[in-house]
Amino acid sequence: MNLRFIDWIWHVRGSLALAPGQSGDDAFARLDPLFRERNTHHERTDDTLTFSKKDQAAQDKMAIFDGGVLQIDKGEAGPVMRYDLISRGLLFCFLAPLLFLGFAQLTIAIGNLEKPSTEAAKKKPEKKKAELPMNPIDKALGAPAPDKPKKKDKDKDEDKKPSPTPAYVFAAIFATLYGVGRIFEARWIKALFKKSLLGS
Amino acid sequence: MIGTQAPVTVGWENIPKVEGGRAKQLFFTWFQPAVLFALLAFWYYAPNSIAVTSTAIGIGIGFKLLMLGLEWLVPRHDSWRLTWKELTTDLFYVGLGYTVLRMVDSYIGDGAMIEAVQQSFNWDKFAWFTVLPLLVQAFLISFVFDFGQYWMHRGMHNWYPLWLTHAPHHYITQLNINKGAVGNPVELFLIGLGIGGFFDFLPRAALLAGTLGLAVGTYQHINVRFNSPKWWRFLFNTTEHHSVHHSQDYEATRSNYSGTWIIIDRMFGTCVDGEAELLGMEGGRRMSVAETMLYPFTEGWKSIKGRFGKGHLDPSEGATAVPAE
Repeated sequence: MNLRFIDWIWHVRGSLALAPGQSGDDAFARLDPLFRERNTHHERTDDTLTFSKKDQAAQDKMAIFDGGVLQIDKGEAGPVMRYDLISRGLLFCFLAPLLFLGFAQLTIAIGNLEKPSTEAAKKKPEKKKAELPMNPIDKALGAPAPDKPKKKDKDKDEDKKPSPTPAYVFAAIFATLYGVGRIFEARWIKALFKKSLLGS
Repeated sequence: MIGTQAPVTVGWENIPKVEGGRAKQLFFTWFQPAVLFALLAFWYYAPNSIAVTSTAIGIGIGFKLLMLGLEWLVPRHDSWRLTWKELTTDLFYVGLGYTVLRMVDSYIGDGAMIEAVQQSFNWDKFAWFTVLPLLVQAFLISFVFDFGQYWMHRGMHNWYPLWLTHAPHHYITQLNINKGAVGNPVELFLIGLGIGGFFDFLPRAALLAGTLGLAVGTYQHINVRFNSPKWWRFLFNTTEHHSVHHSQDYEATRSNYSGTWIIIDRMFGTCVDGEAELLGMEGGRRMSVAETMLYPFTEGWKSIKGRFGKGHLDPSEGATAVPAE
């Protein structure tokens, strides 16, 4: 399978035209502070900069990326910087909904396995529930009296079954986070490169 | 000596206050007590049909969203700003807590263990607890749980096997609203153990106790500065206290172990009033999710190999985790 069709999930690619007359050397010099962060290793040849990061700091402006290549091409309209950045965070976030959907299925499967034992437990004689008391102070202050104990009904018992809903909610949260991250982090890194290249 | 390895501010008089207009100062001075008392009043007087767990979950989510908004609008430290990556990572741990951990907890957590003990010894719950005034019940539920959590947490900082489970949580380098959930699941399971299940209490009292956790405990991990009143700082844990506990300074981390009631630390002489901005271990190395999940096992294995493996000389040779004892 050609990974090229799916690697957009964790790759952020783009290009930026350099300012007229700006050399590759000057461009990389301007970008240099971005690669001087803690736990960032980078290498430069004439027209290529390769970097990798491990345990990058939270406030590292490129924290989302774990590695990548920046290359200066001589385009027809002038030099262009092309970049290909890799993010394990994006991949992880893309896969997280699947993981949580798996948790939801696991919850349902365990709930189904438990049914027979719950039914057996129901046969046990139930203790008569005493009426819940209320302290005179609470009565005087006007707190609502506790409900009288009701007979356990079937619906209530079923409510206590582990619910897959939180897992579905988190699957949706991560799907949304992926969409937001994939779009905005790509825009943000382009803006950061642009700002650095144009900065004095 | 606190502060020899990394900067830590000690003493309330040295901690900055919220700056800005009068309205802003009033808001950040009275927000915490106003929310606490409003929530206590709500749970005290809400009709039985509303005073249910689902309402508490809804309020909890709403409160966290509000705090996220405050973190974004008025961050305490720019160096603790929430990024996409931090938020995503934090939510992953929160998600584990709501799904897998909850499932595991229902089978082998404190509730299940206490039920087994009660059945085998034919013990009834302490029913007399329910005749106490609601607020007393709520205070006792919250305090007793926090008391247990204090000793478990202190144990984690003093006994190497427990420390291995807790260490990943100390690799967080900033405090944000969901950072309390960040850590190895084994630790999160251990810290959640309590003895509350031995007591019988009114459901409303449990909701009131939960509110204390929400409206006080939440501020442990948050990137917002409040001018907490003196009585609040004396009784309750604050961001300031917890930032000292998470600082890069080893001595400072050996303080402020409680979750909600900092007065427990005062009782046992482990309270340090102060704050720190530089947080974490190994000079602020941010630990990845994979390492967080495996750390207790990989480091534990290294220690065992160091101690019992072939040709061992020095028991500490294999371990890279800095022991907290």
